[in-house]
Amino acid sequence: MSPTDPDRHTDGRTDEAPGASTAPETPRRATYYHLVRAVLYREFLIFVRYPANAVGGVVVSVFFFALLFYGGRLLAGEALADSIEGIVVGYFLWTLSVGAYSSVSNDIASEVQWGTLERHVTTPFGFAPVALLKGVAKVVRTFLLSTVILAVMLLVTGTTLSLDPITIVVVAGLSITSVLGLGFAAGGVTVLYKRIGNWLNLLQFGFVVLVSAPVFDAPWTRVLPLAHGSALLQRAMVDGVRLWEFTPFDLGLLVAVSVGYLAVGYLVFQYATRRARRLGVLGDY
Amino acid sequence: MAERGSTGGQSNVGCAPADDGTHDGDSEYGSSDGGRTRRRADTDAGAPRPDPPALAVDGISKSFGDGDDAVVAVDDVSFAVDRGSVVGLLGPNGAGKTTLIKSILGTVVPDSGTVRLFGVDATSDRRAAYADIDAMLEGARNDYWRLTVRENLRYFATIGGVDPDSVAARHDRLLDRLGLAEKADTPVRELSRGMKQKVSLASVLAGGAKLVFLDEPTLGLDVESSRTLRRELRRLADEDDLTVVLSSHDMDVVEAVCDRVIVVADGRILADDAVSALLSRASADVVEVASPDFEERSLAALDERFEVRSVTPAETGGRTRIEVAAGGDELYALMDHLREAGVTIDDIRTRRPDLEDVFVDMTETETEHTGASDAARRQR
Repeated sequence: MSPTDPDRHTDGRTDEAPGASTAPETPRRATYYHLVRAVLYREFLIFVRYPANAVGGVVVSVFFFALLFYGGRLLAGEALADSIEGIVVGYFLWTLSVGAYSSVSNDIASEVQWGTLERHVTTPFGFAPVALLKGVAKVVRTFLLSTVILAVMLLVTGTTLSLDPITIVVVAGLSITSVLGLGFAAGGVTVLYKRIGNWLNLLQFGFVVLVSAPVFDAPWTRVLPLAHGSALLQRAMVDGVRLWEFTPFDLGLLVAVSVGYLAVGYLVFQYATRRARRLGVLGDY
Repeated sequence: MAERGSTGGQSNVGCAPADDGTHDGDSEYGSSDGGRTRRRADTDAGAPRPDPPALAVDGISKSFGDGDDAVVAVDDVSFAVDRGSVVGLLGPNGAGKTTLIKSILGTVVPDSGTVRLFGVDATSDRRAAYADIDAMLEGARNDYWRLTVRENLRYFATIGGVDPDSVAARHDRLLDRLGLAEKADTPVRELSRGMKQKVSLASVLAGGAKLVFLDEPTLGLDVESSRTLRRELRRLADEDDLTVVLSSHDMDVVEAVCDRVIVVADGRILADDAVSALLSRASADVVEVASPDFEERSLAALDERFEVRSVTPAETGGRTRIEVAAGGDELYALMDHLREAGVTIDDIRTRRPDLEDVFVDMTETETEHTGASDAARRQR
């Protein structure tokens, strides 16, 4: 398998074999590097090995967008054509948010059910860094899928948008980081109250409101998750504003909101698991 | 490898003689606990042991709920487990076994008490304390079914704090011994239930854990898989110095694998002894008698004079089978009694008591005891 297996050929009896004195197996300590590699590799394997979920999600998203687009054109005619770019960008951000939110919260629920979350708790690393890394993996995965959806939307509508990868990845990435925080919080609540999980999935429809929040008429909505990021993403993709052309205040607020919600969500998750350990319900489902 | 007898009291040859007292929790560390002294006594008799025990539990308590509804799941439990020994946790359903294991693991936070793992306090230095610990919990998958067997081993080795490349050979050995080598690259979901259980065990051992907790490891396994699992556990303890704390309903498993048994009921330790010592505690051998002549009156008379363990009523035209605890002189008395009562004996056999008898004895005594005190309380 790997070149570091000096005694692999001795069919499992190395301990007693007289000739096996060369380099007995010495387990090396795993570092955070190994942890990162293991968690990301696991997510990658599951992603490529079970593409049905991903493909299904893309198909459903595209289907709903087509419904929205053709149905809207029938009803609103030219009025829709004027705002179609904004709708495409908003829909793109919404699929990103739903992907990040539901994958994190559902994943935590599954790990509870499988008993693997409980098992992580007794490891030297604990579940916390694993959960964060999984969150990162989910965001990457969601970006890949939403990019496909975006491409289809552009083809269907025949619109052109400004697609500067760095700007989009940074702005959209930071925007959905706040949603990731909500996903952690929801996952934590599910750990404590198992049945609530399904209801929390309804939250994703609330993201529509956040994505289209009236940040100009009601500036306070900028501190809500997604709202400010959504406004910046519109400017970036529709008006072609580059990342470095935003004001430091806009960028600072974007970072602050995303880090803030992630931190709060993470703390809720931590608190929930600690409380579940006190109540003895961590492994129940 | 021959398995140790699942009946009879001699399975634990060489065990230190154990006292007969029922330990009630505290002051457990230095006292006799049979099996754990065995291994060391062979090598460095009398020398002080420099190594702290694999597990030292001191005064663990846990209750759920508040006020009048509070349920005490674990009640001031203390014990220690020496390295390389296999300790069984026995107890009826709801005795607190799982809560006790989870309290030790920290997935349930105990109300009081301390847990030391290889000498490291679990609350003060979690990371170090749990470095060499893993667990297989009852009824859970414990691993990822969408990954292959080997991928699971590598993943759990990593989160267990070991670089998987450095233990790849160990993983191959593990898979070999558990008969999983051919399935190493098969996703776990495609395996049979028994195989899945073995993968779960392999993943627990993958990170080189030196102390593992197995909650009902043979639940749902067929006879053959259960045997393999027992044999492997015993071998891992003997050859790799693995320490195992195992809870099971299956007395045969406990008797075959464990050096020592801790019997738990109502959250407290009822007994903590070597398997052989527990077996020798059994009141007497059991005699099974079958006859067509037993009827209500003769059975009542018999029950008055002897300790009748069970009565299996006759099927139509058949014979009634009874179990009586009668060893030594009691056996002669029993025979005389039956002759006088005009009972023709169709079939008779004696049975050495097994762990199950001891366990039933012990937990029944406990129930009677608490039942009596309840009654006394009500009268007051």
